[in-house]
Amino acid sequence: MINFIQFTLTRAFLAVVTLLIVCFIVFSLMELVPGTCAERYLAFKNTQGSQITFEDIEAEKIRLGLDKPFFYRYGKWVSDIVVRQDFGDSCILRMNINELLSGRFVLSLTICLVALIFSYLIAIPVGIISATTKYVSLDQSLKFISYLGIALPNFLVALCIMLFMTVYFGDTMTGLFSQEYENAPWSADKVKDFLGRAWLPIFVLGWNATAFALQTVRALMLDENDKLYVMAAKARGISGMSLLWRYPAKHSLGPVINSIGFDLNRIFSALPVVALILILTEAGALLIEALARSNDQQLAGAIIFLLTATIVFVNFVTDIILAIMDPRIRKGVMGGG
Amino acid sequence: MEVSSKKKEAYYTATQMQLVRTRFFGNRSAMIAGSILLFMIVCSLFSGFLSPYDPTIAGRDKDYENGAPQIPMFWDENGFSPRPFLHTLSKYRGKDTNFRWVYKIDTEKRRYVYFFVKGWEYKYFNYKINLPGKALDFTIPGFTFDTHLFGVKEGGIHLFGTDKAGKDLFSRTLSAIYISLAVGTLGVFISFVLSLIIGGISGYYGGWIDSVLQMFTDAIRTVPPIPLFMCLAAFAPLEWSSELRFFFISCLLGLISWPTLARRVRTHLLSERSQEYILAAQMCGASSTHIIIRHLLPSFTSYIIVDLVISFPYMLLSETALSFIGLGLREPVNSLGVLLQNATKADVLLNYQWYFIPVFFLVVLILTFVYVGDGLRDAADPHKTKN
Repeated sequence: MINFIQFTLTRAFLAVVTLLIVCFIVFSLMELVPGTCAERYLAFKNTQGSQITFEDIEAEKIRLGLDKPFFYRYGKWVSDIVVRQDFGDSCILRMNINELLSGRFVLSLTICLVALIFSYLIAIPVGIISATTKYVSLDQSLKFISYLGIALPNFLVALCIMLFMTVYFGDTMTGLFSQEYENAPWSADKVKDFLGRAWLPIFVLGWNATAFALQTVRALMLDENDKLYVMAAKARGISGMSLLWRYPAKHSLGPVINSIGFDLNRIFSALPVVALILILTEAGALLIEALARSNDQQLAGAIIFLLTATIVFVNFVTDIILAIMDPRIRKGVMGGG
Repeated sequence: MEVSSKKKEAYYTATQMQLVRTRFFGNRSAMIAGSILLFMIVCSLFSGFLSPYDPTIAGRDKDYENGAPQIPMFWDENGFSPRPFLHTLSKYRGKDTNFRWVYKIDTEKRRYVYFFVKGWEYKYFNYKINLPGKALDFTIPGFTFDTHLFGVKEGGIHLFGTDKAGKDLFSRTLSAIYISLAVGTLGVFISFVLSLIIGGISGYYGGWIDSVLQMFTDAIRTVPPIPLFMCLAAFAPLEWSSELRFFFISCLLGLISWPTLARRVRTHLLSERSQEYILAAQMCGASSTHIIIRHLLPSFTSYIIVDLVISFPYMLLSETALSFIGLGLREPVNSLGVLLQNATKADVLLNYQWYFIPVFFLVVLILTFVYVGDGLRDAADPHKTKN
């Protein structure tokens, strides 16, 4: 038990260090973006018609603390996030980022997680079938479909489905809510409405993720299937489903659990582009808005930080789960039997 | 009996590369994909010769905007012709069309397709490097040609139709495949060099250097790549020339995608370093350069090649995604991403479906790459006896 706690603490420590490195990279990137927050805000004010002088910019810089050295600001940014859970204000929108993101980030996370679960639910059984089937053509066609999931750009799939829905059902399926629920508080009806629309991004993101997960499961199953312990089990007269689930499938799931974090990473990565096409009001779309249109470094930094923190957390959890589930790792962690 | 023992001998004395080649050639789907891929690469390399029009705005056909694809035919109701021909189009606008320009087809007038015609000039090995700073600008003249595979004497020939500025989509697609492949190659090359250096140092030295480098690699791997790309691409000022932008985007692709390969190099070096054959070589008095060049490198070149081919489609997809959101390559440059961006407007979907032809090529390109990568991976795996 002591060993296990030690293992957990080491992992937690490593996760925190990773997060700090990522923070540093993200923060440096944000610093390198040409122009500062103060200039951007005042430029925005300028377009609104008010006259801006050089002194105004300086005053605004001091107000935002931009005159302080780099490491001081980095420390302040991180400590604000950790201690006060405060991401500061957005450069352009002049809103507190927490308010801006609170609902949206949860939405993005839900979409991604559901897509992830959906992809695993399909990929694991289909991958096992693909690896163990006697029919080469079935294996080949399953492989082709999953490759197609990689090759078709996400936004293209989204667009085609949108077009199809528009032509045949007269609803473009854009956005996450129908108009009447857009600003309504959460209720059973709103959830229903959300699910009725969110299946499209979930499907699009999920197909892509399924393709990858399928490849992993298939390759692992093929590897495990040739191993001696499977042959030994066969020799003892175990066959069919019970053989598959008790021996090779069980063992090939370990690396799959390990890859959850990276799959989530991939889904997050694809989210902004899909969000752009489907006009979703969530964090991915906001990120594109912040980077491609308005150069809002504060907001972009906050979103990337949140995404990465989620992935680091998921990686941490899967490590712990693996240590509990897999006897080989459990032994290594806890020592003895 | 004679034959099979000969076969056996050939099998056991074959070098690693020969074995890989035989296994790869035996893989039907990989071979088909490989041939298609090769064909597309050759076509894109000779895009200047194959495309009848300049893919940039200079080659636009102002009499045929948003025009549908024109397929050369061999016969119509007036009979057969051994030389393929097109019908003549005329622009027409009147009360009956609500004063919108439409194209009328005149089936009486044929325009014949000629081969090896003279047309716009294209250049090979011509580089105009325009880096920031005057001293770094230089020009290599290269070779200029103006012969094209096919063309028509009057009017235009647009196999894939034209876009809203009248640019020929066929020419654009060819040059876009070329550009996208070039971006991918440059990106793969940069990531290859980086991963060799970082993975190499990490695997060669081991110890704390390895731990620190691994932590850094893992940290980069946890950041979702597309947001990171977007972040970096947001640096490129709008006023940059298209060549500079092209170079910058390729570098970005390379800078972000090295961690996976670096990890593989490191793992391989770590496990290979302690193998007996390395020890044997050391005992024989081989220098470490000799060991690295003669033993370590050949032991994983096949893996590296496979990894490079596998990472190629992701480079292409990242480039398309980036260009698609408007942070990657931009208009005067043709890339598959730029062409896709044009295809996503609603009126395009409903009225000008030929804008989607480049999309088809992108999908085929990525699929063939994936299949070839898959075949190579199977072929390079020495433990795999079947397939």
